[in-house]
Amino acid sequence: MLVGAFAVAHTPQLLIRPETEDRALVLRVHAAMRRVKERLEALRPDVLAVIAGDHVEAFFLDAVPALAVYVGRECAGTFGPYRYRLDIHEPLARAIVEQGIERGFDLLYTQDAKLDYAFYVPLHFVMPEPARPIVPLHVNVYLPPQPTPARCHAWGQALGEILRARPERVALIASGGMSHFPGTDRYASPEFEYDRGLLEALAEGRGRELARVTGEELDKRGNIELRTWITLLGAVGDARADVYCYEPSWHHGNAVVEWPVGDPA
Amino acid sequence: MSHGALEEAHYRFPPSSAYALNHCLYAIKSDRAFAERYLADSDAAVAEMRLSEGERTDLRRMDRDALVARGAHPYLVFMAGLRLKMLAEPGSLEYF
Repeated sequence: MLVGAFAVAHTPQLLIRPETEDRALVLRVHAAMRRVKERLEALRPDVLAVIAGDHVEAFFLDAVPALAVYVGRECAGTFGPYRYRLDIHEPLARAIVEQGIERGFDLLYTQDAKLDYAFYVPLHFVMPEPARPIVPLHVNVYLPPQPTPARCHAWGQALGEILRARPERVALIASGGMSHFPGTDRYASPEFEYDRGLLEALAEGRGRELARVTGEELDKRGNIELRTWITLLGAVGDARADVYCYEPSWHHGNAVVEWPVGDPA
Repeated sequence: MSHGALEEAHYRFPPSSAYALNHCLYAIKSDRAFAERYLADSDAAVAEMRLSEGERTDLRRMDRDALVARGAHPYLVFMAGLRLKMLAEPGSLEYF
């Protein structure tokens, strides 16, 4: 069953802060992430299903999957001095692959890929105690051509149906966003007003509207990573978003959001 | 979608002509041992990478716009630069 749904920023400067970053802002985002951790502890999930976009870490140009699932006993990665190893909930991961393919989504699965910091950064801050196993769900956001927002939304709808029919209590977490343009001449000028408009729509339960945005628009608005949110929105339907925080830094719209999804009892 | 719209995107299809360049940036970003060799002697580290002289020059300067114009993926340029900074100046960072 699906007991919770969240979106959490993963910008690496939240984990490793250079002098260029406003420390007070970083701490405010940490506080919002701490609320997610507390909420997860109250929701008592058995497993966290994390939707994130690989930053050309697990998948380089030798193979670029649109949608992928990590299946196995554990997964690991590194970022700077951080070495992380996380248990995978293998029965759920395998069920997602098998049932996703049965439903017409040609998922790639991996039992041996590095886990990108897009998965790790949110979990570093929101992993409930005791730690839960995860299922990493990859959506290609950085290597064009990426899956369309409509396809991400449809996959999220199928994923939501799969999770709701499972015996485990599952919390879904979308990692990433909002507006930012790393490595481009737009780095210092994200589209914060666009983000705020999106958050208003999400707070009104209009998440399905994001299924209709185009890939070009996401690129233009610095929101290619919103594909992870759009996937989650397919699973949560018309639930209204509770925006824990929106903290625009000089280069990144940091958001932390919950979608209350049904009766968690 | 017009061809023009694709060309104007911030993140574009990585041209195969830039494969070696992107592979080098990927190695700096994701392979710590390679990044350390690169910091110690960038010319020696990239010697086996089949880069053109122009690519080596732009890489040495970490000239973002020039690298991206050659087909480097902007994110790889960004994170390769950040990873080198993390290695070269670890004391300037706060870890949470």
